Amino acid sequence: MVRAVADRTFVPARGVLEEAGDMVILTGKTIVSAIRPPYPYGGEFVSQFLFALKLCWFPLLITMFVISYAAPGLQAANFLTLFGAIDRMGGFFVLAVVREFAPVICSIIVAGVAGTAITADLGARKIREELDALQVLGVDPVKNLVVPRFLALMLITGLFDVFAIFAGVAGGVVANLVSGGATGPFFATFFTNASTTDLWGSVLKCTLFGAITAVICCYKGMTASGGAEGVGRAVNQAVVMTLMATASFNYVFTQTLLATHPEINIIR
Amino acid sequence: MTPSDDDRDRIEEEEREGDIDEMPRDAVDGDLDPEPQVEPELEEDERFEDELEEAPHVSVVSEPDRAAGGGDADEFQYHTEAHHAVEGVPDAIQFIDVHKAFGRNRVLRGLNLGIPEGKISMILGPSGTGKSVCIKHMVGLLYPDQGDILVHGESVPSMPDIELFEMRKKFGVLFQDGALFGSMNLYDNVAFPLRQHTDKGEEEIAEIVDRRLLEVGLADSGDKMPNELSGGMRKRAGFARALVLDPEIVLFDEPDSGLDPVRTALLCELIKEVHQENGGSYVVITHDIMSARRVAEFIAVLWRGRIVESGPASDLFNSSNPFVRQFLTGESSGPLGME
Repeated sequence: MVRAVADRTFVPARGVLEEAGDMVILTGKTIVSAIRPPYPYGGEFVSQFLFALKLCWFPLLITMFVISYAAPGLQAANFLTLFGAIDRMGGFFVLAVVREFAPVICSIIVAGVAGTAITADLGARKIREELDALQVLGVDPVKNLVVPRFLALMLITGLFDVFAIFAGVAGGVVANLVSGGATGPFFATFFTNASTTDLWGSVLKCTLFGAITAVICCYKGMTASGGAEGVGRAVNQAVVMTLMATASFNYVFTQTLLATHPEINIIR
Repeated sequence: MTPSDDDRDRIEEEEREGDIDEMPRDAVDGDLDPEPQVEPELEEDERFEDELEEAPHVSVVSEPDRAAGGGDADEFQYHTEAHHAVEGVPDAIQFIDVHKAFGRNRVLRGLNLGIPEGKISMILGPSGTGKSVCIKHMVGLLYPDQGDILVHGESVPSMPDIELFEMRKKFGVLFQDGALFGSMNLYDNVAFPLRQHTDKGEEEIAEIVDRRLLEVGLADSGDKMPNELSGGMRKRAGFARALVLDPEIVLFDEPDSGLDPVRTALLCELIKEVHQENGGSYVVITHDIMSARRVAEFIAVLWRGRIVESGPASDLFNSSNPFVRQFLTGESSGPLGME
């Protein structure tokens, strides 16, 4: 009975740790393959970039605008109105949208839209033995499949972060106006509190979210098994793992950024 | 990253149906038997060896006696592992005491096998016994937990990646259902190895691809996408792609699966014709006995992770081993049941 309990506890935990280790190994192989010549993945990189761009821009725009309008927008406006400080909305939006909401929502949208497509594509190839056929034909699947997706998702999330910030701030402006505030004070406090550290920190964090998404989604696709059901399971697991990983990484990155740049902690 | 989870799934599915033996719980930490268990010699083998001594064209190389005892003795009682080597023909591929487990499922349990050079060899066995796992070991898609695999004398598991990629150029592989690349049409699929590994110009590539497509009866289908083809057409296209670099060794993973009897017969004839024309060592994985009768020159019967018997097809079809006889005749009574 002790053995049964131990098996139920430790065997799944060992499986999770093995998977995490495999993903770290895949990350290392991807980075090395990306740097080491030759570079046959140019066409695939462009194709994956445009694919993610085409699929994600509209959902990101709508989601970012609506969430910024509702959560930090209306809720914060109600709260700030109590203190007669509605003009502080702009400064609050630096913390809320630029530092947190934009990269996180961007990561969620890219994972849910492009990441799932990547997992499904690679998973389908895996169960059709296309990946085995590629290896037997002397094609390195990491260099030719994972690296272009890794680079494409990093680039697209970094660029989308700026787009998301614009959409989010627009939502905040609308919420501010609806709550009786004016745009002048909104932007005055916004630019007083915003710094280049906030901007590059947000873009860098979002770029790394893209890298995490690419590695997890490619890994789950390339290790899918169990036919079509297995591919569906892999897609589901990829999204869940990506969200958990990006949330965890968000904590570490934010903590590190605030500790290394204490000046951004000051609210002006 | 864990390779070939498809095989693990296939085996787990068989296990749920009760076809695969699970590892005993007390060996769950991967302590495989340090030495393979030995089955007692049968009287039939002694008679069998006497008969074989009268046939000068083959030599019997039996496995040496191993220590008897242990729980595996009963399940390997039919595994004589008699290997009827063909004189003067070296082995293209050798499996030396190969063990492979996927979690608790021990798929290969001390596999010893020699695939002769220049022949059409077949690995036969019940579903889920690890035939496809064997093929994947040959090309380095899987690595053994124990033992070695030699291809023309070179150890595959010990090769660095660069040598492994070079070694794979010796192989052409026909996967189940063809494994064509869905984003390319048939012509580009077949041309892919030539563009990847050679400096040939497009004209020369076109000549080779057209010839191979004509050989497999797909001359007019070059511009079709894989999802527009039937299962049989995909297999033939995969066959053309496997041959396009004139490989020394061609592997077929259940080429007849999903095909009707007529198309199976046609595919078998195609394999024989192409082998006659191009030579090389062909290894066919199947459990279809009719295909074995049509095509095989050398047969190895795989069961429970080990070779029961192997040798020229004529010897195996006349074998007195109860398991081999039951399997090759398709009889319902015998050592192999529904378990």
